[in-house]
Amino acid sequence: MPLDVFLLILRILLLILLYLFLMQVVLTISRDLRKTAAMGSEVEARTPPVVGHLVVVDSGPSNLLPGTRFDLMPQTIIGRGPTNTIQLPYPFISAEHTRLWYRNGVWYVQDAGSVNGTFLNSKPAREPLPARPGDLIQIGPVSFKLTP
Amino acid sequence: MTFRYRWKELGLFIIPFLILLLGMTQLLLANRDQTSSLSTRNLPPVQGLIPILGLIALFLTVNIILSFFFSRADQMLLPLVGLLSGLGVLMAMRIGPDINRSTLGTQQLIWVMLGIIMCMVTLFGLRRMQWLERYKYTWAVLGLFLVCVTLVNTFHVKNLDSPTHDQLKLGPFAFQPSELLKICIVIFFAAYLSENRDILAGKGPRFGPFRLPPLRQLGPVFMMLGIALLLFLVVRELGLALLIYSLFLCMIYLSSQKKSYVFFGLLLFALLAFIGYSLFSYVRNRFAVVGFDVVNWQRWTEAQTDFAENKGFQVVQGLITLSSGGILGAGLGLGHPTIVPVVESDMVLTALGEELGLAGLLALIGLYLLLIYRGYRIAMESRDPFNQLLAAGLTSIFALQTLIIAAGNIKLLPLTGIPLPFLSYGGSSVIANYIIVGILLRISHNSALEREGLA
Repeated sequence: MPLDVFLLILRILLLILLYLFLMQVVLTISRDLRKTAAMGSEVEARTPPVVGHLVVVDSGPSNLLPGTRFDLMPQTIIGRGPTNTIQLPYPFISAEHTRLWYRNGVWYVQDAGSVNGTFLNSKPAREPLPARPGDLIQIGPVSFKLTP
Repeated sequence: MTFRYRWKELGLFIIPFLILLLGMTQLLLANRDQTSSLSTRNLPPVQGLIPILGLIALFLTVNIILSFFFSRADQMLLPLVGLLSGLGVLMAMRIGPDINRSTLGTQQLIWVMLGIIMCMVTLFGLRRMQWLERYKYTWAVLGLFLVCVTLVNTFHVKNLDSPTHDQLKLGPFAFQPSELLKICIVIFFAAYLSENRDILAGKGPRFGPFRLPPLRQLGPVFMMLGIALLLFLVVRELGLALLIYSLFLCMIYLSSQKKSYVFFGLLLFALLAFIGYSLFSYVRNRFAVVGFDVVNWQRWTEAQTDFAENKGFQVVQGLITLSSGGILGAGLGLGHPTIVPVVESDMVLTALGEELGLAGLLALIGLYLLLIYRGYRIAMESRDPFNQLLAAGLTSIFALQTLIIAAGNIKLLPLTGIPLPFLSYGGSSVIANYIIVGILLRISHNSALEREGLA
């Protein structure tokens, strides 16, 4: 076989192999992603459904990162104690601080007898107040945004 | 320590090994008379494949060692990095004889092997990530110290145009401390920003409709940034100054998630660039190339021809080299990449573009993309904020470096002398990049252990 033909074949083979390798890596990555997604849905199936989120808007004196999302169950209690659905271990949060519940497509917020209070859009939530996605919920000095 | 063989990694290594062997064979054959025919009698000697076989053996050993000690570390990084650095070795072997440095390939091979060893040392040595986090100022000072030593050396040499003016000579080794400085700076930024992220995300002074970051808490970061930028302005390392500034922006954005900071950073950058442009003539020279019209070369004026033959020579030659490669390329060893000055390190992309063609170049960029994707993925999978920032920052080094130098090579940005990760010739850059890979592997191993509840 003439050398230049052989070199041409080698050259094209090299390029084909390069792309085959890229394809192999992409396939491995997508297989991995599918596996982690399946694992994620398994975890989801075991826990109660998440019906909404609280996103930290202003972390106040706590070390929460703004943008941190907390999952909301249909019945959520927020407080410092370990029995709460969402535990905020800070001295300025009461042991049981705020109750949130979801009924007929509407969220309700009520203060659970806390020291620093719960506010819905700066209004104190001593009585149950209906909340809509996008509302600001202030738990003590920390502000959250309610999102679906 | 649990043994689990890394089959996925081994499977991913097969094609890179084939590519490297194929490339080496082609290099050996390319030196022959093209019109001769190939028969069993005049096949190239098998000894020629020994360097590549050695590299392959080393990667297989690493695969086995990792299966024993770090079985859960990311399995895609090493094949990607191995292929890239193997191609770098091939390119150094190919370019070496043409620029009268016949040992260039062997040297690069030794650097890659040392790099892999350093990667292993990093993996084993870095028992706790807290060592990096807690001693952040030590790392910052170490990085700056290294550069200061170089600075003294630079003033000693007094020739800012020589390509080696930023090297530190330690016996027979010429070492470029700026490569290590990058890692030190990322460690420092990651540690400082993850510690102060709540302050950073808080409110700072207002400026029109935008919020500035809280400036006082960012003091140490700004100081570090300022020192690094000043140093590089003094030694005329514009590429590194650009790299460090963009790294700073990346990490600020990653830790605060505020686009306004990036906007301000870019505004400040534009201002600094303008000041640099009007103050320094060498900055103007670099920028002049970007606006240079190459397409209408038949209608060049006298001044333009002069520019293309002197100040813009490197970039213009690089473009000619790239275009002569076409889509499928000239084939390894069959092009003429050495008409470009400094083709072995800064302009290696043009050599690869000529010999592998546009198709090969796109595949290389694909390799970089996957590498960077993997790096950010490792950052996402980690739980600890410091590890997240560190992995993302280190990956950003690869991303930014590739972007800056590749864009410089194809005349989209001013050309600056920073190496293309893993492909450029250069010991300190290869070793520093392998240290980064080591840290990334360690982070991925730690977070996988944490996920499985073993740590």
